[in-house]
Amino acid sequence: MKRSTIWFIAILAGLAAAAGSLVYAQFDAGYYSQKNLGAIMQPAAPKDTDGATYAVTAYPLYPPELAPGPGREDVQSYCSTCHSTRYITMQPPLPPETWAAEVNKMVKVMGQPIPDDVQPVIIKYLQTHYALETRKP
Amino acid sequence: MNERRELSRRKLLHIASIAAGVAETRGFGSVEKLFAQQSEVPANEKILPTFTGPSQNPYWNSIGPVVQYPQKSPLVLLTDRPVQLETPRHYFENAFTPNEAFYVRWHLDEIPNSVDLATWRLSIEGNVERLLKFSMGDLTSKFKPVSVAAVNQCSGNSRGKFQPRVPGGQWGHGAMGNAKWTGVPLRELLVAAKIKEDALFVQFQGLDKGKGPEGHGSHEFLKSLDLKNPVLDECIVAYAMNDEPLPMLNGFPVRLIVPGYFATYWMKSLSWIRVLEKPDENFWMKTGYRVPDTPRGNTTPEDVKAGNVKTVPISRMPVRSFIITPDGATKLVAQLPLTVRGIAFSGYGSVNKMEVSINESFSAVSGLTTKTWTPADLGDDHGPYSFRTWSHTWIPPKPGRYLLAARATDAKGNVQSDEGVWNPGGYLWNRIEYQEVVVGRAS
Repeated sequence: MKRSTIWFIAILAGLAAAAGSLVYAQFDAGYYSQKNLGAIMQPAAPKDTDGATYAVTAYPLYPPELAPGPGREDVQSYCSTCHSTRYITMQPPLPPETWAAEVNKMVKVMGQPIPDDVQPVIIKYLQTHYALETRKP
Repeated sequence: MNERRELSRRKLLHIASIAAGVAETRGFGSVEKLFAQQSEVPANEKILPTFTGPSQNPYWNSIGPVVQYPQKSPLVLLTDRPVQLETPRHYFENAFTPNEAFYVRWHLDEIPNSVDLATWRLSIEGNVERLLKFSMGDLTSKFKPVSVAAVNQCSGNSRGKFQPRVPGGQWGHGAMGNAKWTGVPLRELLVAAKIKEDALFVQFQGLDKGKGPEGHGSHEFLKSLDLKNPVLDECIVAYAMNDEPLPMLNGFPVRLIVPGYFATYWMKSLSWIRVLEKPDENFWMKTGYRVPDTPRGNTTPEDVKAGNVKTVPISRMPVRSFIITPDGATKLVAQLPLTVRGIAFSGYGSVNKMEVSINESFSAVSGLTTKTWTPADLGDDHGPYSFRTWSHTWIPPKPGRYLLAARATDAKGNVQSDEGVWNPGGYLWNRIEYQEVVVGRAS
């Protein structure tokens, strides 16, 4: 075989391997942890000197305190698949219909599969604790 | 909360005992009188509420706790997953925002903790003649680097000022920053890949992923620009921010820079540039980040409810300016000159006129009733898309309450208005901002 043909086959094989590898295999993502809460990060020299990996530590989690009451567990389990419940506690007091619209958006637009019988429980919980008349400090 | 109150009560008792001691040894007047002077807790030590509303957030920043994240100095927390952090006010005294203080806003929770540049590639794909993949080494060595100073501002910056309030990230004014971005012109990469003739849009995707189902906005974050949009000629694929690698939370290894445009288009950890032959129908273009097709993107809740608001994708940033110091937390002294400082910027070109207005006893909520504007001094011009600092020397004439206001005019003649805007997304806020200050007696 000619040298150029060998090179050609080698390049083809390389391309196939690259295409076959998982697109996201190249990086770590979504690493969150509560263990470094309140700590000032101290610089630590990276261990590898010859590698090309650039890394940071886990992103700290600051779980908020949700108001106690019926529906809180459903909110915690269904509303924290994609995001922290700080998305709830961060909001200003919102009208009851806005909370209903937000939950509907999460189901219909964002695709979160909240069972039909749980949706009203979650809406009721948010309206009871995070609406205009009801929000407590 | 009770514990905090108890603490401040103890602090007062402590101050009182010191005051009493001073009074005894130095023979001052009544202990009560001295105590009254010392016991006033400065405004900046007030315990913040856990939320604001239904009125405006009255503060400059949002009210979350100050938190520590990798590669970051302490920032104000909005949400922890995905990460949203706001830059504290004092960092805006300078035209360039330090990388470690630059605000953070991700849309999806699976964001990179590490990237291996041995395997990471920036792909150009879709409707192109040549599918290309660039390593970081390719980007830094095969192209001549270009730099631009440009403001990156979240579309929802200052959302907490909306009336009535709207749901979403409740940002104060700190979801913005200015940096010198260095990298490769986007156009050179597109030319290298040879865009096909029937191509219409170019779509950008980063390394972030969400846990929502495929085909939904909760699964991937995608943004597009029209290939006919002249802003593409100014876009940069940046590998350096203020002459350093980008912090992981600000989009390492490379980020798209779209000068003058809101940050929603500035894709972080940019890894796919996809040329499309039809308009982008994904959630983040078709539903999210849209503004009413009206002057200033203004509308009303009634019009939204009636369903007669036509929307367009958000684009350029309207002219804005901010008073950074004095911040109102400290009493000023009558007749003692001070420098009022701030920044200004516009997505439509350089800010070339800055004015301040200093008035006694007007309400910040209702705005100025009389407007006497005095020109302020402009700082260095770092280019049309950068923050520009401004300053104005003021000698507080006499004790009292004053309302400071700042107003910017950009190269296109756009001037900030004293009216707010309202739209359901909470975008495009650019009203004149106020700072109330208290001036005390000099003796």
